[in-house]
Formats: sequence, C-alpha cells, structure tokens
Amino acid sequence: MSSPTLPRDVKYGIGLGILYLLLGTPMARDWLEATMSRHMLVQMPLLVILGIIGCRLLPVRWQNDVLARVGGSVPCVMVALFASSYWMLPRALDAALTEPLAEVGKFLSLPLLVGFPLVLAWRRLTLIGRGFVWTNFISMLAVLGWLYIVAPVRVCNSYLVNDQEHAGWYMVIGSILLFVWWLATLFIGSGVGPNKPGGNGSGTTLA
Amino acid sequence: MASYTYTPVPDTGAKAGVLAYLVVSAVVLLLMMVFGLLMRLEQSQFTSIGGLWFYKIMTLHGAGMVGIVALAGAAVMWHFLRLYVDLSNGIFMANLALFLIGVVMILASVLLGDFHAGWTFLFPLPGTSMGLWSTGAAALFMGGLLIIGVGFVLLHLDIARAIITRYGGLGRGLGWPQLFGHDDGNAPPPTVVASTMVTIVNLIGLVVGASILVMMLVNLYVPSFEIDPLLAKGMIYFFGHVFINAVIYMAVIAVYEILPRYTQRPWKSNKVFLASWTASTIMVMFIFPHHLLMDYAYPKWFLIVGHIIGYLNTFPILIVTGYGAMMIVYRSGIRWDMCSRLLFVSLFGWAVGAMPAFIDGTITVNYVMHNTLWVPGHFHTYLLLGMVAMVFGFMYYLGKPNENAKDSPIDVAAFWAFVIGTLGFTMSFLYSGKISVPRRYAEHLPEWVPYDRLASYFIVLILAAVLVFIFRFLSRLGFASRDYQRASLARSLATT
Repeated sequence: MSSPTLPRDVKYGIGLGILYLLLGTPMARDWLEATMSRHMLVQMPLLVILGIIGCRLLPVRWQNDVLARVGGSVPCVMVALFASSYWMLPRALDAALTEPLAEVGKFLSLPLLVGFPLVLAWRRLTLIGRGFVWTNFISMLAVLGWLYIVAPVRVCNSYLVNDQEHAGWYMVIGSILLFVWWLATLFIGSGVGPNKPGGNGSGTTLA
Repeated sequence: MASYTYTPVPDTGAKAGVLAYLVVSAVVLLLMMVFGLLMRLEQSQFTSIGGLWFYKIMTLHGAGMVGIVALAGAAVMWHFLRLYVDLSNGIFMANLALFLIGVVMILASVLLGDFHAGWTFLFPLPGTSMGLWSTGAAALFMGGLLIIGVGFVLLHLDIARAIITRYGGLGRGLGWPQLFGHDDGNAPPPTVVASTMVTIVNLIGLVVGASILVMMLVNLYVPSFEIDPLLAKGMIYFFGHVFINAVIYMAVIAVYEILPRYTQRPWKSNKVFLASWTASTIMVMFIFPHHLLMDYAYPKWFLIVGHIIGYLNTFPILIVTGYGAMMIVYRSGIRWDMCSRLLFVSLFGWAVGAMPAFIDGTITVNYVMHNTLWVPGHFHTYLLLGMVAMVFGFMYYLGKPNENAKDSPIDVAAFWAFVIGTLGFTMSFLYSGKISVPRRYAEHLPEWVPYDRLASYFIVLILAAVLVFIFRFLSRLGFASRDYQRASLARSLATT
C-alpha cells in the first residue's frame, strides 16, 4: 500500500510558508535589515515574490473569482502601486525597524497588497497596462535611487549616509538593467498580454 | 534573393482622429511660424517687443514646434500603420487629449507666468530665474512637458503591442529574420519597420526625459537635492534629440506609402533597407553629443564617440530613402501634383538639412559654430523643407478630390514660394552662422541686421505659401475621410 502523496502545489505552498517564516526569524531579519540595500532590495522584493508565487499556486478559477470580486485589474494595480510606493518612503523603513506593528505590516502588506494583486491583474493587462506598470516602476526606482544618491541629509535614522548612497546606486543600476530586460522581452515578443483589455492572457510571463 | 512586385494597396480615407491631429497641427504650426517671424522682426530691428517677450516667444516657438511636428508625424505614422496592425483609437485620442492639456500648461506657464528659459529647460536655469518667473511657472512648464511625454509613451506602448501581436516581436518588426537570415521577401513593409524603430527609440528617450523632468521638479522645490548640471544636460539632449529625430522617421512613412502608389513600383524592404533602419535604431541614440562637444568636462571618449556616430548616422536611412525614392521615380512617368512634389522635395530638404549638422558634428568646427545661427539653419532646413513638407504632402494627398484632379496655379505658386522661401530663410541662418552671429540673441549688431531682414522677407513668403496649403487642406476635409483612389497613376500605367 503506497503512502498518500500531497499534490505538487500543496508541497510548493508548504515550502513557501516555510520560506516566509524563515524570513521572519530574528536571525534573517537582523541580517537582511542591517543595511539599507539588503532591506530595500533583497528583503522587500523577496516578500513581494512570495506573494507572487503564492497567488500563482492558487487554482486559476479562484484567481478569476477574486479578481471579479475586487473589481478587475485596475483596482489591483492601484493597490499594488500605492502599497509599493509607501514602502519606498524612508520613514516607512525606519518605522519597520523600530515599531513591531509596522514590521508586521510590512510582512503582510508586501506579499498580500503588492505581489498578490499584481498576479491577479497581470493576465488581464494588455501590453499597454503591463508597459505602464513597468515604465512607472522603473522610472520611480531610478528617480528614488537618484534622490538617495544626492540627498543632502540622512533620510533614514537607522542607516548611515554611505549606506543610503550605496542603496541609491543599486537602485539606479537595477532600474537600467530592468529597462534593458523589459525592452529585450519586447524584441522577442514575450509578455505582450491579451490583445484586448480584460481578455484572459497568460499570467506566466513577467514582462 | 527575394523578388519584389508592387501589390496595389487601396487608398483609405483618414479616421476622424487623424484629421483632428492634422487640424491641430496645421493651426499650431501656423501660429508657431508667426512667432518665428516675430523673433526675426525683432532681430531685424523692425519691431521692439523687448527681451522678455522675445525669450517668451522663443520658448513657445521651440517647445511648440517640437511638440507639433511630433503630433503631425504621429498622425502620418498612425494612419498608415493601422493598414497593417490593429491600433487602438482610444489610445490615439488619449494622446491628443494629454497633448492639449500639456500645451495649455505650457502656454499658461509662459504667457501668464513669464517662464522663458527656452524649450531645453537646461538645468539650473528653470530654478534660478532671479525673480523673472516663479517656481510655479517653471513647474507648470516642466509638468506640461511631462504630460505630453506620458501621452506619447502610451501611444508607443500601443504601437509596440500591435506590432508584437501581428509580427511576434519588435525584432521581427525590424525585419531581423530577413536581415540576418534568408531574405524570403516577407519582411515587414517599410511602414512597420519605421514605426518599430521610432517606438523603440522614443520609449527609451521618453523614459530618460521623464526621469530628468521629475528630478528637476524635485530640485525646484527642494534645491538641496542637487543635480549634476552636466548629467542633466546630457539627459535632456538625449531625450530631446531622440524625440526630434524620431519625427522625421515617422513622417517619412508618407514617402514610403504614397510615392509607390503614384508609380506602382514597390518600396522594397530588402536587406539594405532593413540594415539601415536597424543601424539607425542604435545610432540615433548616440548622436546627441554633437550638442555637448563644447562641454570639455565630459569624458573625451564620450565626445569622440559622439563625433564618429554623428558622422555615421547621417547617412544610412537618408541614402537608402533618397536613393529608393529616385529609383521609384526614375523613368516612371510619374505625374507631378502637389502631393508628389512636396514628398519628393522633402527628401531634398532632409538631405540638404542634414549636411550642416554633419559639418557641425566635427569637434573643431563645433567649437566655433555651435552657438551661432548655423545650427538653427540646419534644423530649420531639415524640419521645414524635410519633415513639414512631408506632412503637407500627406495633407494634399488626403484632400485630393480624385486621381485626375488638377492643381490650381495658386497651389503650384505656393509650392515654389515654399521652396524658395525656405531656402532663402535657411540660407540666411546658415550665412549668419558663417559670419559668427550668435544664436538666441534678442538684439543683433547692426552688421548682422541685413541678414535678419532678408530672413524676415523669406518668412513672409513661407507664411503665404503655408496659408494656401492649410486653407486647401481645411477646405477639402470632406474628401479626406473617404476611401477612393487618390494617386494619379504614372503615364505609362494610367488608363485615361
């Protein structure tokens, strides 16, 4: 008699949960939040990615149901835009380091209010919508990085000025690389999304 | 080797959106030309409007002309591209709406807020007005540019979507499988290749432009966020040069589409054509340094690259298009009417207008010529006798009552007035450059005034011609939206 095996998606879900808990351990948090670069450019994106993967593990029917209930792709993109913008503010970073409630808010909002709604919206967005999200995100990242580089003051109480400058440079470089990658996807024609707004395109491509 | 034969393409009328673009373009173009005349009259000492109004008009003339030729070019591109791919009318109209909002902001900034830092808004000038304009006026001007840019980003994203959906990627839109592999004759038509190139370079240019505009807006209100002026200048000229270069690549689509209809000869998307467009896609992004050659603080290698690429980029598309047009017309028995005349002369204007830039792109020449009227001589030839002539040719094409319609002598006279007026006007700029008359000066020395006066007379001639062109277009708007054969077939092909 063979032992019952769990479905693949459930296994991935358990793995994802373990990873999420690991990120929340004091040791991981201490290391990832020790520098501004790791905090903003490693820990936060990882939390968003967990939300993205988590959403994609759900059956497509569930995703469509949730998307219909929340009013379609535009509200999802707006929620993701505002939530991610909030976590770009230096004050939000400070709060996450000093106030446990803000830290919990970060661990909940980045996967649930950024990663999750983006995946829901993605399959319904045409290239114009996807292009808007990418160009908006890339230019925000570049400008924010530039501001961090030239800021005359320490913008985060918890991090040193040189740390802030390093984070700024990583953001500028990251935005350039992202832009090149996004343009490259257009050259090979992937990530175009459905032809009509609201159509059910592929949600598996990132571009 | 692929063989090419002409496949007749039906003449389709313009959508209401295209006509709206063209009407707005015609009206604003005329207004901006009047502004140009006012500046030359001031330099001629015929009028004395004063420095403040001169620079306000100069700012409006520059920003207005760049914006309006982009709008007119987009109308030409969209009209023909929609024959091959499925474009969104909503996005096209959204771009027009955003454009008009941006224009209102810019007009308010200049006319009500006295902003007059030039369309190039070079850092740190917008933020250091010494009391001549407010921070709000500068922010309104840059915000207006930003909104116009957002409209064009949306338009290009829609074009990218449509090309990718139809052809499978922007690389295929540029005809790379045929360029780098076997030319099976199935490369995208020239319209698609040109639109793909424009979309790629403008998306990059607009994102860079938006970034520097946002940073300068932040700096306006929080000056302690300092910007490196050289970096700002580099970014502004990258965006500005790519954007203004792209307008002629949009408008040249009228030549690719309309001349073959007259001669019934195909415009071939062969390997040479595809290679030239791919080369220019890359090079057009590296030629802006000829505006920076006087900034010795830039790294030397950067300026040398700008010099070399400036030389190289002058030729590929220009030669391929000029040679292609001559091959299509040569011994074709083409019937010359206003449309075919304007389109053909536009290639002459493009070629002649590119040469002063080629010369100015030489570092040693640039040191003494760049801040003179030589440079306005270059871009006025290139834009007025090149790009704007293409747009007027397109307008005549849309409004032609039937394929055998004859032009009135007034139109023919207006055509020659336009050509002679433009040549005289631009030559006065170029000659003034040769004798070292600086550009952007409201007041000129007495020795320079005769050339300014000569230029003013020629502008009046151009204005008279353009009034005829625009009047004719507006009076024939009813024809422009209908589907019928417009091009007069070459004599050897015509049945009547």
